[in-house]
Amino acid sequence: MNSTVASEYSSEVHSTPIEHRFNPYSDNGGTVLGIAGEDFAVLAGDTRQVVGYSINSRYEPKIFNVGDDIVMTANGFAADGAALIDKFKNQLKWYKFDHNGKKLSIKSAARYIQHLLYGKRFFPYYVSTLIAGLDEEGKGAVYSYDPVGSYEKEQCRAGGAAASLIMPFLDNQVNFKNQYVPGTDGKEKRPLRYLSLDEVLQLVKDAFSSATERHIQVGDGLEIFIVTKEGVRVEYYPLKRD
Amino acid sequence: MPGLSFDNYQRNHFLTTRGYGQPTATSTGTTIVGCKFKGGVVIAADTRATAGPIVADKNCEKLHRLAPKIWCAGAGTAADTEMVTQLIASNLELHSLHQNSQPRVITALTMLKQHLFKYQGHLGAYLIVAGVDPTGAHLLSVQAHGSTDIGQYQSLGSGSLAAMAVLESHWVPDMSKEDAMKLCADAIESGIWNDLGSGSNVDLCVMEVGKDAELYRNHLTPNVRSEKARSYKFARGTTAVLRESIRDILDVEETVITFGSASVDAMEVDA
Amino acid sequence: MNSIAQKYTHTNNNRILNEITSARDGLASTHQLELAPSIQLPPISQPTDFLRAHTDDATNPDCKIKIAHGTTTLAFRFQGGIIVAVDSRATQGNWIASQTVKKVIEINPFLLGTMAGGAADCQYWETWLGTQCRLHELREKERISVAAASKILGNLVYEYKGMGLSMGTMVCGYTKKEGPTIYYVDSDGTRLKGDLFCVGSGQTFAYGVLDSEYKWDLTIEEALYLGKRSILAATHRDAYSGGSVNLFHVAEEGWVFHGNHNVGDIFYDIKEKEKSFNNVDG
Repeated sequence: MNSTVASEYSSEVHSTPIEHRFNPYSDNGGTVLGIAGEDFAVLAGDTRQVVGYSINSRYEPKIFNVGDDIVMTANGFAADGAALIDKFKNQLKWYKFDHNGKKLSIKSAARYIQHLLYGKRFFPYYVSTLIAGLDEEGKGAVYSYDPVGSYEKEQCRAGGAAASLIMPFLDNQVNFKNQYVPGTDGKEKRPLRYLSLDEVLQLVKDAFSSATERHIQVGDGLEIFIVTKEGVRVEYYPLKRD
Repeated sequence: MPGLSFDNYQRNHFLTTRGYGQPTATSTGTTIVGCKFKGGVVIAADTRATAGPIVADKNCEKLHRLAPKIWCAGAGTAADTEMVTQLIASNLELHSLHQNSQPRVITALTMLKQHLFKYQGHLGAYLIVAGVDPTGAHLLSVQAHGSTDIGQYQSLGSGSLAAMAVLESHWVPDMSKEDAMKLCADAIESGIWNDLGSGSNVDLCVMEVGKDAELYRNHLTPNVRSEKARSYKFARGTTAVLRESIRDILDVEETVITFGSASVDAMEVDA
Repeated sequence: MNSIAQKYTHTNNNRILNEITSARDGLASTHQLELAPSIQLPPISQPTDFLRAHTDDATNPDCKIKIAHGTTTLAFRFQGGIIVAVDSRATQGNWIASQTVKKVIEINPFLLGTMAGGAADCQYWETWLGTQCRLHELREKERISVAAASKILGNLVYEYKGMGLSMGTMVCGYTKKEGPTIYYVDSDGTRLKGDLFCVGSGQTFAYGVLDSEYKWDLTIEEALYLGKRSILAATHRDAYSGGSVNLFHVAEEGWVFHGNHNVGDIFYDIKEKEKSFNNVDG
């Protein structure tokens, strides 16, 4: 008699997972956000660092004042981010030695960071990079990068784990996307205007408290770097810790 | 054919090889615990459900009723814990009707483990089963592949290490009901704070010999949503109306029935 | 500077100077002075496999590093010069990374390059091409030909063939001896001279409109509109293209920018004017 049960398991198609012998990357979570105003710029980030389901630290700053009123962050794989920022700070130091302490414009800093990132085109830094500061006219400026150095000057940008949660919110609240002037039947867009620092800080806090609600890698604390013509200022606000 | 259908098993495997990922089931990265005390047993759970790194539900229920006095806490695949629990609850009810006696915890556990073993771990249910029956209070657990455990205190889920750390350091034999509740709540809180898969609130269920089971839904709520700094109310008309169509789904007929003035007076109740 | 310093110091005895020079030697900054860039490779036997495993979202959708991709770009020659039109969307997997990308790279006032494929690859190497063209001017006292400029880029990407660069670009320019000229250069090493190209994930949609309406005798006005209309068609049907249309006209006096046109706005204008896109209401 037939003693074995017919099963299709013998003819199963096995998807052999690709084994990476050399995997130098990991994901340390976290989220960052930059907004440029008329005469200021902010760069904000949560202070939680994670790996897998564990919290490495509840306060590990990832935004840095790199000098010359430029603030910088490289979110993603923390080791790569730290390496990139250290390298930039170091090069900025040498630039000052070589050029009699000349101030590096944010435009030049932005281009230089492209070269740092592209220098590792075939062994990329696993990070999304943002810098913020004031441009040559004193207006707020935010530059954002992909992992291998393509960059763009923008009004606002979210990066990292909860970028996909925050960016649509920013599009709507900063650039007034999908908002129309009431009574115009969708014919006239809501006119753009510069937001005040107070308004921007409120948006940043709300963006992060909301991201904390719905993303497990975001939380613990919010550190906001504010660049104005007076210099760089830091503010800290607690976030939920669960 | 009763049971699960494996019809698409090979197809899905094939699709995986072609680069189409399978849909991810809502997995409850979870902390669940249970602890016996003098004359009863208590179980507790957090209330976060996740889909990858996204919080799918901030206040889900992970405590399931198998029988009026037998409850279980579930970790693993949300749908599996829910369905396997409902199935066993039904069978347990039928069994107790047939036997004309209160259902026993060990019966529930045996039914669960036999069911789970049959599916060779494909049902991702990890459960802590607890309750009181004519033989006393019991605390047991069962893993997806069908293996079971007995103990004075237990923890399961992604936050089980954080919870067990608390249980191991504070558990003592023959605790009071209040102490056991506090211990379980503390263990869950440890998972809430230290495990990313767990969060939000603490649910708790106490089963005491000779009493009805008590469910403390949201026993602790240490993660109340903070108030927003801004109001996000849009001015009416902010969203463009592209098209408008009004349809009559029901035919509304209006009939006015006039009463005489005398009957109107008669309708008055409190003049 | 160093040679002067060395002349007046006993290098071996000066510890501070030694430290500074050795620190400087260890820096990458020396490479910046030369124009040939140096790119670091992962310390393993097959760097290309490593790169593919970690960055190629086509073969490995779960790869961690998603590089910006996806585009529609076009350029065509006509009686009045060259029209260059591009969209402005950058995607990383299914995520729209940006709707405001500049996909036309202004190499110099007479040369334009377009961006399709890897955003960083195009941005980096086309600005690099700009410096090469400037050096050519300084050496030869003459503006570089479009043929030569495109060949510098073509040779460069060919050196990196198989390493994972991803570029599809059109080098467009006007010189006295060549007239309006377009070269298509891609990361496989292909380099083609032609009258009309569409490049990117939305190329087929753009070709569809462009081929059916194109004539050599188009006026500048008509040609600009055709460029814009072709990109619009591509943004409508290709999910990886969108945002806005950037328009350029290249003629004897160099290139002229003809505006940034938001797709969401021009779609309904064009639909109403042309009585086209009848499958869409509104």
